Amino acid sequence: MPSLFRSGNLRLRLTLWYGSAFSILLLLHIGVATYVHYRQLTNQTYHGEIQDLETTEGLVYQTSDGRIAMNEDYFNNPQVRMRLDRHLEILAPDGRILFQDTRLQGASIDGPPLPREGMDSYNERAIRLSDGRKVLVISHFHFLNGRPMILRVAYDEAPLIANVARFLGVLLLLAPVTIVLAMWVVFTVASRALSPLSSMVRRAEKITAERLSERLPVHDASDDLGHAARVFNGLLQRLEDSFSQLKRFTSDASHELRTPLASLRSIGEVSLQNTHSSEEYRDVIASMLEEVRRLTHLVDSLLVIARADSGQIALQLSTFRCMDLIQEVIGVVGILAEDKHQVIRTTGSVEVAVRADRGILRQAILNLVDNAIKYSPSGSEILIDVKKESEEIAEVSITDQGPGIPEDEQTRIFDRFYRVDQGRSRERGGTGLGLSIAKWAVEVHSGTIGVRQSGQGGSCFYVRLPLNS
Amino acid sequence: MQILIVEDESKLAFALQQGLEEEGYAAAVVLSGEDAISWLERTTPDLVLLDVMLSKRNGLSVLREFRRDGFHAPVLLLTALDSVEDRVLGLDAGADDYLVKPFAFPELLARVRALLRRTATTPQSALDLANLHMNLTGRTVTRGGVTLELTSREFDLLEYLMLNRGRVVSREMLTRDVWKETMRYTSLDNVIDVQVARLRRKIDDPFEPKLLHTVRGIGFVLRED
Repeated sequence: MPSLFRSGNLRLRLTLWYGSAFSILLLLHIGVATYVHYRQLTNQTYHGEIQDLETTEGLVYQTSDGRIAMNEDYFNNPQVRMRLDRHLEILAPDGRILFQDTRLQGASIDGPPLPREGMDSYNERAIRLSDGRKVLVISHFHFLNGRPMILRVAYDEAPLIANVARFLGVLLLLAPVTIVLAMWVVFTVASRALSPLSSMVRRAEKITAERLSERLPVHDASDDLGHAARVFNGLLQRLEDSFSQLKRFTSDASHELRTPLASLRSIGEVSLQNTHSSEEYRDVIASMLEEVRRLTHLVDSLLVIARADSGQIALQLSTFRCMDLIQEVIGVVGILAEDKHQVIRTTGSVEVAVRADRGILRQAILNLVDNAIKYSPSGSEILIDVKKESEEIAEVSITDQGPGIPEDEQTRIFDRFYRVDQGRSRERGGTGLGLSIAKWAVEVHSGTIGVRQSGQGGSCFYVRLPLNS
Repeated sequence: MQILIVEDESKLAFALQQGLEEEGYAAAVVLSGEDAISWLERTTPDLVLLDVMLSKRNGLSVLREFRRDGFHAPVLLLTALDSVEDRVLGLDAGADDYLVKPFAFPELLARVRALLRRTATTPQSALDLANLHMNLTGRTVTRGGVTLELTSREFDLLEYLMLNRGRVVSREMLTRDVWKETMRYTSLDNVIDVQVARLRRKIDDPFEPKLLHTVRGIGFVLRED
């Protein structure tokens, strides 16, 4: 049974669980009903006994020799509803039996009178007789012609118990039928409620990496299953997006690798077509080595991205001032700006410090400053600003006076291999990965990176980092 | 000086052999880890170049066996794996240095020289090439008696080229040793080219003979020719 409760069939499981809970409740219900019924019958019996006793009090008389007797004629009247299988005894206050009318096969109620028995009101009690039968006793204190006596009436409980047992029997007999019926209803209802699940499962079975565009059917968007289906569809959408991104990345990477490979091959093949001087061969080999350098850079960048994607890079956190990092970057690439007669100006707070992996963050800033220099005209100014964007966020922004980036491309430029101007960027030795590496470097620190149009028409790249990370 | 090259990529192995022999070393090639171990039973080289990803047997297990057999000569690992863990694993196995493929040949030569150098180099206080004089303690440079004004970076660059005078240094070597850039994917090629051009303008343009030469496709060399 326990294994059934854990079985894979949800409908069956629901039905079994419901069936068990329902059975327990039903049995409890039967128990309570039976007890209430028993109590009610007992009260009725006592009530009957009291009436009986009152009648008896009227029928009792004292014979001339002082004995106590009863006018039996009354009971011989067929209209009397009095129970005949009852025990009646009359005691003197000292316990002496004055009269006994036993129809309980000779058993006596026994026992001396209790203190003040029946004096205030009718005394009710249940007693087990010497032969084991249980009787319900009512006793009452009575004066007959000024003579005190105690009257006791006892009814056998057996017929009452039999009644209760019949009642219980009927209920118990009906219980299995009720339970089976209820379980059948639950099974049917559950089957109907879960039928969308079956169709979802059938559809989900067809979904593979190649067919991620499939979606689960949403039968009723407002219910739980509809919600689950929508959540699952959202998950599929994200999976499909990242799969297609991966596919695009793989094909883009192949194309990017092809370009230097094509150059390598052409240079080599052309140089072997005719005989050349050794000086010319040197030139060919040098040119091929330059292409190899490009390939090496590309592969190194791809490796960084692959490693970042798989989350393999462990951050070496330290706390440092943003401005120090910027000065360090300017120390490296500043010479390129000087070469183009550009001026790099830094403004803002010197104090703003962040906790980050300095090497990785440096890469991001280096790429951004390098880009700003590359794409700005000679003699222009590059502005690097550090500020506290809010209490929690530091912002480093790099504003150039270059051509700017069209609004519709401002998010795409962080995509891998995305270039605003394909030919020109490659000419300048770009891999098309610089900004996507910068984006990763910032996001791995829970920061954000973006670009906006600057006032003078150039672009302004900004990096926002949490101050308390 | 005898160098053993353990590399299963035969094209690379024989290219390295030729390059090292042209530099005056005796170089032998074995193409598998098993061959390397049997080779070492007969001969003791002064240095081993060991590929980590050998086809049959991992280079690191070969290296551990070398070291267990009491082989003390320096070992330079060649590998395509460049994560920090890989480096640590290699050094733990008993390697002396680590070079990530694809490497520039001048860089391999520099490492080989460094590993074979028995005595520690005494820090020099001055370097000379032709009439170029570098005072390392005072950080001044003169050529033909004329004092040259160099920036700090230019001085470091010239010092590195002077220490390697007569030998080609690659851009990777400059990136790592002069610019102290540890991340391999940081490309400073443009920066280096501009810096070298400036240095040349200061130390060569007004003087003869020209000392700083670009070796196209490889790097730069400081020599008198």
